[in-house]
Amino acid sequence: MGKTFVAGTLESSDCLITLSPANTFSLDIDTVVHEAFYEHIKRVIETTLAEENVANVHLRCQDRGALDYTIKARLRTALKKYKEADDG
Amino acid sequence: MARSYLFIPGNVPRMLQNADVFEADALIIDLEDAIAAYEKEEARTLTAEFLRAHRPESVEVYVRINAEDPLFTEDLLSMAPLGIDGVVLPKTTLASLESYRNSLEKHNLDVPVIGLIETPDAFFELLEIARFPSLKGLLLGAEDLSATTGMKRRPGGEELLYCRSRLMLAAKAAGIRAIDTPWTSLDEEALALDIDVANRLGFDGKCAIHPNQVPAINDAFFPSEKELKEARRILKRHEETNSMRFSLDGKMIDKPVVQKAKALLQKAETYRQKGGKP
Amino acid sequence: MKYENIDELLDALDLKDGMCVSFHHHLRNGDAILNVVMKKLHEHGLKRLHLMASALFPVHAPILPLIEEGTIETITTNYMNGPIAEHISARGLKGTLTMQTHGGRARSIAEGERVIDVAFIAAPAVDENMNASGVQGKSACGSLGYAIEDSLYAKRKVLVSDHVSPSLKDPQIDGRTIDDLLVVESLGDAAGIVSGTLKITQDPLGLKIAREALRLLKALDVFQEGVSFQSGAGGISLAITKGFTETLKARNLKASFFSGGITKYHVDALEEDLVDRLYDVQCFDAAAIDSLRKNEKHFAISASDYANPNNPDRVIKDLDVVILGASEIDTDFNVNVTTDSYGTIIGGSGGHADTAEDSKLSVIVSPLLKARTPLIRERVRTITTPGEHIDCLITERGIAINPKRSDLLEKLKDANLPLLTIEELMQKAHAFTGKPKPSAAGEKIGIVESRHGATLDNLYKKGD
Repeated sequence: MGKTFVAGTLESSDCLITLSPANTFSLDIDTVVHEAFYEHIKRVIETTLAEENVANVHLRCQDRGALDYTIKARLRTALKKYKEADDG
Repeated sequence: MARSYLFIPGNVPRMLQNADVFEADALIIDLEDAIAAYEKEEARTLTAEFLRAHRPESVEVYVRINAEDPLFTEDLLSMAPLGIDGVVLPKTTLASLESYRNSLEKHNLDVPVIGLIETPDAFFELLEIARFPSLKGLLLGAEDLSATTGMKRRPGGEELLYCRSRLMLAAKAAGIRAIDTPWTSLDEEALALDIDVANRLGFDGKCAIHPNQVPAINDAFFPSEKELKEARRILKRHEETNSMRFSLDGKMIDKPVVQKAKALLQKAETYRQKGGKP
Repeated sequence: MKYENIDELLDALDLKDGMCVSFHHHLRNGDAILNVVMKKLHEHGLKRLHLMASALFPVHAPILPLIEEGTIETITTNYMNGPIAEHISARGLKGTLTMQTHGGRARSIAEGERVIDVAFIAAPAVDENMNASGVQGKSACGSLGYAIEDSLYAKRKVLVSDHVSPSLKDPQIDGRTIDDLLVVESLGDAAGIVSGTLKITQDPLGLKIAREALRLLKALDVFQEGVSFQSGAGGISLAITKGFTETLKARNLKASFFSGGITKYHVDALEEDLVDRLYDVQCFDAAAIDSLRKNEKHFAISASDYANPNNPDRVIKDLDVVILGASEIDTDFNVNVTTDSYGTIIGGSGGHADTAEDSKLSVIVSPLLKARTPLIRERVRTITTPGEHIDCLITERGIAINPKRSDLLEKLKDANLPLLTIEELMQKAHAFTGKPKPSAAGEKIGIVESRHGATLDNLYKKGD
């Protein structure tokens, strides 16, 4: 408990994903392109989580203008670390 | 046939998604030395997602994978299905190539290899390496080589002459590419010297470690006016005689020479379209 | 009259609520004068003032409280960024904001459309006859181009200086047009007034765009004896300037003039005899100031002689090529350099709209993608320069030519350049970023005024 799983950076065009186990799902997106892409980014994250079959986590995305592939990649890496810790 | 091979670190989104604008003929996405141990997973996943979504067109894409397991197998399995032009295999030796072939066969994959030659022992099995199935090119890795042997690098310096020549000869004997090592500072004059030596020694292309190095490499390895003139003459005579065997300037020209001339002119045209030389 | 105390000066002036006071921006981000004067006017109980500053920078943030509570009610400017711009973009101001161009400001003053009650003209060096120069003194800033119309047409003209000199060489302002002189301790921070040395970009993306720009110019046969050229001071623009002069040298050509904001790169070209004259409306670095001081063919010009559209002798009427930037551009080639895509004011036309209209060839250089924000939109948030005056767009992923310029398209037919329509370039960007939701807009806070005085577009608060 209290473990967090991190992937990515705060560099321009990247995003930092911070994932921690929780009792329910919560999502916190802080993005430099809020007006233009907030809804879209939210959808990308939710879809990827559904594909990976993950529900009860608190997920924080600090986005510096990352494209979809980057958000997916950082999310998948954080999820892999989370799942590996879970198994271990 | 690429003139320039630009190294791109596999964990920097800004560089991956902009890599194709720098006019390099080939990209080498690096999962090995540019990536710290704790970032290997991140880099692999990012590179895979990038290639799935935005694989750049009209540029060759290679990935330098890690040489040792478990990373080696994970990299290979992740990259092989993505339609890349090949992997760059660090510290290539005959033994490591055997191991590579076994892994590929086990997983039913087939990916061309550019062998990175950066250890002393590799130089004594170069021809066998060059002739190994799936070998597409030999790439000289002078950084690691000088670090382990005590060689002190100077731009275009003689300390690398034997290694360069031997590598080039092995590649040509096997009919594959000879790719020169990068020059690792941004000093333009030093780079120009190093490029010039590689070009004169018969290399087909050179690596760049920074986008600003690419134009100079592209210009140098662009076929010379002399070569192009010769190729045009050969093709003209070929059209006139309607034959693959004819005499030109007292020399016998046959099919491979005609084909090589055609390929050279085509290569020049492709580069010209890319905007290499106006 | 000469004063050494600002309160005495203000007591002598005929100050009224609602009056218009003007300042130039040649002291850039080192200016100490505007803040001091505005604060003093506030202390003297004045309200509803119209501030006509040619630009406002982060250094002017201390006047924010004056804007918030209405001492400053209306602002007319050509450029602003930093805290004041951010505040006004989010919260507006009590009156309206008008953004002009450098040439339009000069025109509106000269034609009496804008009446300045008091012009406060910071002058790095003055003499006993109230002549003024920008190239001498500890606060030297170079050309005083944006102050000239103020000095000629304001009702009352006050020089403010920290350096009284026995003699001035070639003063740019004639003392006979001046009413008062206020001598102060310091005009501002020299480090903020002048940039050390502006450097060309080292960013590979910027260099690529610069290379493409040079290729386009060559393909359009721009390089002729006597060509004239202007570009800005951004990293990419400087790289293009350098490439431009290198090409002149390689082809044994000499340009007729470079105009606009002058930097070391322009000066180097003058001193290597690659260009005949420099027409300087503002100096961007120390090398430019130095050159203005000593080089005979480096001329300081007024904003009117630079870009006033109704001035038949304006320099830019003979301009062949101008290189400009963009925050946004739309599929009609309208360019925005006033706000970002979300409505925050990040600049303003400056000379953008002026040079785009007058120059024979106007070229926009910009990255296609700035992280996830695409450059090309269906419609820009704010029109600074109308599309009919924009000829080419150069990005790292392709070049778009305005379809109205069929002559350019014809010339480039066999040029082997990556030409695309602007819609195709936009699609390329969207393939990476996805299509952005258009930004919301709040209430109107002001207008963008064309150089001819018409309203080009409205300015709105950022959306919620």
